[in-house]
Amino acid sequence: MVMVAVSAMLLLVVIPAAIRRNHSLVPRGMRNIIEAVCLFLKDEVAGPILKGHTEKYIGFIWTVFFFVLTLNLLAMIPIEKIITLVTGEKNHFGGVATANIWVTGALAAVAFFMTHIVGIREQGLWRYIVNFAPPVPWWLAPLIYFLEIISSLIRPFTLAIRLFANIIAGHMILGTFLGLILIFKSYTIAAASVLSSVALSLLELMVAFIQAYIFAFLCTLYIGFAVESEH
Amino acid sequence: MIEQAGNVLAAAAQVNSGLGICGAGIGCGLAIIGAGVGIGLIGASASSAVARQPEAGGRIFSGMIIAAALVEGVTFFALLICFLTVFWLRG
Repeated sequence: MVMVAVSAMLLLVVIPAAIRRNHSLVPRGMRNIIEAVCLFLKDEVAGPILKGHTEKYIGFIWTVFFFVLTLNLLAMIPIEKIITLVTGEKNHFGGVATANIWVTGALAAVAFFMTHIVGIREQGLWRYIVNFAPPVPWWLAPLIYFLEIISSLIRPFTLAIRLFANIIAGHMILGTFLGLILIFKSYTIAAASVLSSVALSLLELMVAFIQAYIFAFLCTLYIGFAVESEH
Repeated sequence: MIEQAGNVLAAAAQVNSGLGICGAGIGCGLAIIGAGVGIGLIGASASSAVARQPEAGGRIFSGMIIAAALVEGVTFFALLICFLTVFWLRG
């Protein structure tokens, strides 16, 4: 909870501060980074999928992407463990937010409610329910409808578990490699272990970016499915 | 005599739990084989697609990353269930 709040505060402070005095047409510095990422998400990811409705829902997609990215990147700094080393007692201060199934579950629940509420608001309740399944012959329709409902219920679970398992697998392997030092208690093993921990941390950085992108892309896809009518 | 039979039964019950943990380990290995083959196929088709049309390299790469992350997501479900099986059987 603390890390979620910290990341939210960080985003709310850093992003407006980057834009504050920087109103030129050519972006520089931090504004350039954020603007490049936002334009990439708007033109390459959300544009082809959401075609006409991009402007309405791009705010949500940007929020989800930057939020998940900030949580994943803040997990690379083990603040909680450093505080435990310094003070000598367990604390809940700076842990890994996305390695908690409740945090990713909450994000997936937000995405789930977002897709259905967006679909109902765009198409009206009756047309949304009728257009839930693609047009098929009448004797196939109940089965297809049932499968669509099942897949729609499974989607938030897959979103949550994908993000959770990727982040926690990285941290678990990192912890295992560093725990080998305690088991073997030799200097060569310690050197090899620290070097492979560096390599694993680089891999974890890549996984952090990719998982944030996948989460945002899949949210875009589900909103796109809900918004367009299936003709 | 009955006491010895009880001990043998208790030992057999513990052997069953050990076999369950072996099963979870084999399940992990099979899931990883699936992931390796799947992501290898994705990489192979992405490479041949870029070789046919190098200008589309950026879009093909981004599609490859998405497909690889989805396959890995499915693998992590299986790994999670194997891990939970070990956790349930140990306690």
